[in-house]
Amino acid sequence: MTVASQIKQTLATLKGSQGTLRLYASQTRDEETKLVYKEALEATGIMIHDLERRMQTLEYQEPQYKGN
Amino acid sequence: MQAWIQILFSSVSLFFLLLLLIRLMGKKNIVRMTPFRFVSYIVTAVIVALMSINLITNFAFGFIALGVWVLFPIALDYLSLKSKWVHDIVNGKETVLIKHGKIMEENLLQTRLTGEELLRELRSKNAFNLADVEFAVMEDTGDINVFFKSDKTPISSHGLGLKVAPLAEPQTVILDGNIINEPLASLGFNTEWLGIQLETIGVSLDNVFIGQVDSSGDLYLDLFDDSVQLPQPKVKEMLYANFEKIQADLTTFALETNNEAAKQMYSAHAATLQQLLEKLKPYLLR
Repeated sequence: MTVASQIKQTLATLKGSQGTLRLYASQTRDEETKLVYKEALEATGIMIHDLERRMQTLEYQEPQYKGN
Repeated sequence: MQAWIQILFSSVSLFFLLLLLIRLMGKKNIVRMTPFRFVSYIVTAVIVALMSINLITNFAFGFIALGVWVLFPIALDYLSLKSKWVHDIVNGKETVLIKHGKIMEENLLQTRLTGEELLRELRSKNAFNLADVEFAVMEDTGDINVFFKSDKTPISSHGLGLKVAPLAEPQTVILDGNIINEPLASLGFNTEWLGIQLETIGVSLDNVFIGQVDSSGDLYLDLFDDSVQLPQPKVKEMLYANFEKIQADLTTFALETNNEAAKQMYSAHAATLQQLLEKLKPYLLR
């Protein structure tokens, strides 16, 4: 497995987790819990953004590893 | 009029009257009642019984007595709400039986409790060892309540210094195969949401005996058909595990890459995720 596809996999897990987290943030009735979930959402958002940028750089540098 | 018809008629009407009166006298627990209240209930019951079988021939007299025994306790209740002084006279005050781990013998004498009775009461509160008890008090109802020494009290998350997520009470949304709309609406969900949840789990509504939604929005079901194994809500644990995996991945990437900027980016994110995990742990795992 190439580095790019490894990162892609992590990115997918991260996005999935963010989705679940968003669901819980909207479901929970407790304000404090909601706040913690929102904070986590923000942090994961930045993470996803950075990882996607890194992906682009990798694909640009080594286009032969693009895909999968 | 025949006597039996009269008795039947008066009994039925007194039955409903008594029902109303007892409801009026309040919903205090019959076991945790002050002795006086208990007596007033009994007197009311006896008066009604006597009237019902025509032993009190003059109904007006009966109603006067009944009125006094029903209205006076209610009046006293209201008065003791308003004034502490009346409350203490009507209900009595609690008596401290054990203070700082020492039995107060003169208070024991005052409540006419023998040492054996005290020990029995303590045992019923799970205090088999007198040395474990810091404070015990006899309430005005005659109940004895025990406060244990701090090293003998059950462990709480506060004592352990653990943070736990605040949990509100779960709401029952399905009972006997019927959706109860009011609690569902108070959670901010609707019938469609519940339908989707049931479909995901793969059960039909009429197979569900009880369905509860906890404060984080997870649905717990108990089915009529107990041979069906249901997946218990484990999404939060999964979520936590996923975040742990991502954190490990990021650390690996940071070690593997030769690009200095990328290395820094990865390790910074790994660190923030570690902090995030610490923060999320009470909410997702406990």
